[in-house]
Amino acid sequence: MDTTRRRALAGALATTALAAAPLAAPRPLGAQPAAVKVGAVLPFSGGLELFGQQARLGLELAAAEINAKGGILGRPVELLFEDNKTDPKTSVEKASRLVARDEVLAICGPITSSARDAMIPTMARGRTPLLYATNYEGGACGRYVFCFNTVPNQELAKLVPYLARTKGTSFYCFGADYVWPQKMFAHAEKLVAGLGGTIVGKELTPFGVKEFAPVIRRIEASGAKVLLFALPGADGITFIRQAEDLGLLQKLTVGFLGFSEAYLGAFGPGKGQDMYVAVPFVASSEATGPRDFVARIRARAGKETVVSHYVMTHWLALTALARAVEKVGRIDREAVVEGLEGLTVEAPTGPVTIGAKDHHVTLAMFLARTEGDRLVTVEALGPQAPEAGCG
Amino acid sequence: MPTVSLLLLDALGQALGLFLVASGLALTFGLLGVINLAHGELLLLGAYTLLAAERAGLGFWAGLALAPLLVGLLGLALELLVVRRLRERPLDTLLATWAVALVIRQTIVALFGPAAHTVPPPISGSVELLGVPYPAHRLLVMGLALLVGGLLAWLLLATRLGLAIRGTVADRTLAAASGLAVRRLDATAFALGAALAGLAGAATAPLVSVDPQMGLGFLLPAFLAVLVAPSGGAAGTMLGAGLVGGGESLVAAFASPVVAQLAVLALAVVLLRRVAGRRLRRER
Repeated sequence: MDTTRRRALAGALATTALAAAPLAAPRPLGAQPAAVKVGAVLPFSGGLELFGQQARLGLELAAAEINAKGGILGRPVELLFEDNKTDPKTSVEKASRLVARDEVLAICGPITSSARDAMIPTMARGRTPLLYATNYEGGACGRYVFCFNTVPNQELAKLVPYLARTKGTSFYCFGADYVWPQKMFAHAEKLVAGLGGTIVGKELTPFGVKEFAPVIRRIEASGAKVLLFALPGADGITFIRQAEDLGLLQKLTVGFLGFSEAYLGAFGPGKGQDMYVAVPFVASSEATGPRDFVARIRARAGKETVVSHYVMTHWLALTALARAVEKVGRIDREAVVEGLEGLTVEAPTGPVTIGAKDHHVTLAMFLARTEGDRLVTVEALGPQAPEAGCG
Repeated sequence: MPTVSLLLLDALGQALGLFLVASGLALTFGLLGVINLAHGELLLLGAYTLLAAERAGLGFWAGLALAPLLVGLLGLALELLVVRRLRERPLDTLLATWAVALVIRQTIVALFGPAAHTVPPPISGSVELLGVPYPAHRLLVMGLALLVGGLLAWLLLATRLGLAIRGTVADRTLAAASGLAVRRLDATAFALGAALAGLAGAATAPLVSVDPQMGLGFLLPAFLAVLVAPSGGAAGTMLGAGLVGGGESLVAAFASPVVAQLAVLALAVVLLRRVAGRRLRRER
């Protein structure tokens, strides 16, 4: 929309800077200062495109807002997007190239735990901060790793007691057979035991299963009142559709771990109702912050754009990076680390604080449920501190 | 614990659903010997044809009829442009069809977006069966699988086209020498296999998440079913699907989905060794 205006503005800023500091390094009159490059390694093909696109929306809005205010310390931000094809090996290749060739200030992304764990050694070797903004199992720690989304305790601490109080104290855990559901369930088990509830069953499934009837029958037979469900993506949608068809959803309430607005519309009209989740952002919120944020995204990306917490957390990651560098007053990778540690940033949902030691965020959480074709807030849970698992 | 008859019904449902998916592969892989890794994506196209038909207001049944037609035509093009040219190089066929699969998947992402879609079943209610409500659409898919199985058996065993296909498979040179247009038969059988994939995709769409990755999950069990099938015809494939699909369902019911997949894989390995041994002995 206003690229020319923005460029003119940046040009004007550069000229003023020159005029104000005539002894500064000689630069052609009116030329833009060199851009601050920030990499983004995200899945734009290979299966998790949906999350890659959500992340991109947030990053692009943050970049546009930073540049509209004159950039980072007077230099515009330039995002370098790389498609990791939902693959760890590709993620590492793209990350090394961004670090070595493009000399980026930091890298945002990726989405999956496998890609993140594969990238972390590369980032540490290149002494380049990784800004990870997806909810995950915890334990990604290090000087060059910052996490801007939730870890298990933030999602579960209020969700499990709420479900136990309102729906029943017998829980069944069902999820995919990998690290995130395992860590989620381990944490949930502690919470349920503390509440005097029971875990009547727990099982994990490989990815790619298309027929869940046997599992659904077993969960139904267990008499559980709450199903803690951690099967992300298409498999999760398939399970919920079949559970609905086979009548399971009338018999218990689903706590759909990792649910977000990105799933809405996948179940069909009137289906997948009354499922609960705790998230750091609810797009349907009536509060000024979220409403304004959604409007800003939709003004750029279209009226129908789905806005999930992934958009907000990726926006948060880049916005925090800009604040951090401004706080320290110089643009380099160590300045990013120094600046981010202990920083508080104003997010659409309120202040977010980045832990000085664990590099994870304390942020406002919301208990939400599916209702009609929306995810709606049940209760604002206030700021939740992370148990990052950094030892 | 749910009743045994209910578990058996679930297992039968899974077996018949798998047969529907594997029936196309039985033709292209079981009979023609083409390793078509794009089979899952042909299925995907069937599901998205149904989705597009629903969106255009044509409804489920029109979509179900359109899917095999469109996917069959695409299968014909695939045979003429790719598969035929690699007839003597099975390994290259594998790579080429995998490439086709990638192209189809990303085209779907470009056209329909990466998100999952929903296709409502044509009959949304349930039927009281064995004392529990059983989703009507599952019964519909089971019926359709039986119908396809019957038609496939009839086509292969009781028609001149079926005879010609079987003759070509048994002895290509002799069939060609007897005046059969073997290349045209290849194309016909391949297109038919693709059409069955399209039909399976459309029929199963209301049961699963319709998204660009849906084909992948069907590919492996379908190949397993065809591999363990004692013969390439309809009855053999039905048996293979029964072993793989029904077996997985029953093991999952008594153990867990992880154990079920391992068990089916182990079963396939054992059966394949026996089949391979038999073939080897025959060739000697």
